[in-house]
Amino acid sequence: MIIDHPLLGPRDAAEFVYLGDACLIDRPDPGDENAARLFHDYLHIRDNPAGEHRELWFHEHGDRSWLVVTRNTLTHEIVRVELARDVALARGRDR
Amino acid sequence: MPDRQLMARAALDGHERTIGTVAVAEVTDLALVSAAVPRGSDEAFAAALARGFGAARPATGDSTVGDRCAARVLGMQPDQVFILFVPPDPDRPAETVSATLESAAYVTDQSDSWAMLRMTGAGVRTALERICPLDLDDRVFPQDRVARTAMEHLSVIVLRDGADSFLLMSPRSSARSFRHAVELSVEHVSE
Repeated sequence: MIIDHPLLGPRDAAEFVYLGDACLIDRPDPGDENAARLFHDYLHIRDNPAGEHRELWFHEHGDRSWLVVTRNTLTHEIVRVELARDVALARGRDR
Repeated sequence: MPDRQLMARAALDGHERTIGTVAVAEVTDLALVSAAVPRGSDEAFAAALARGFGAARPATGDSTVGDRCAARVLGMQPDQVFILFVPPDPDRPAETVSATLESAAYVTDQSDSWAMLRMTGAGVRTALERICPLDLDDRVFPQDRVARTAMEHLSVIVLRDGADSFLLMSPRSSARSFRHAVELSVEHVSE
């Protein structure tokens, strides 16, 4: 499998480590009054889609960047690769 | 004066070997220092790099050459470069970089953490093709490109510093396995 890194171009999947669903970017606010429930869901509740799935990959043997890879779980086709930093900034995070 | 002295020793004892048309030699005279860019100070860092080493800040995956200390700046990741240079004081490379950059970056001495091998000669790419997952074609990986990758499960930084010259850096703790993997690959294409 080849991941087309936004900065470095196509790189072998062996250089990457998989973490999980990209929803991990949206860490709940510990100060929220429903923090216990929100963190429960954040840790344990996942969709299991047959189709496009957004997931976090780490380029460990590369530039050490976190990527959001959109992959089709039925075909393994990778339709989009973004820097997780850009995704987080677009969601209003400060980094 | 202490009655014992610590002697510096290279990761591969200065190993050199030529196999067919490819020469493999350990590089022992270069220091390597990482420089991490503080948040929000990209411009100040680029200016300090230009003033201190006479080098432009490279994009990730590229390297630039400076006019002081024979420095080469490697763009390792979006907020970090490695600076490869001939150290005026081999015992204090991080201090040299910190002073040269006027503290515009967080620096860490990496010199003794990496074993460095330079591969040169016709056929060097043929030898690397067997173990290096990067595309080293001239159009994709021309001179001055740099990348971190894994060869035979060992982390390796690959710098192309000439048409037929590659500098490879791998963690010192597995230096001999690294040398073995590289030389075996050269042997297999030299018969």
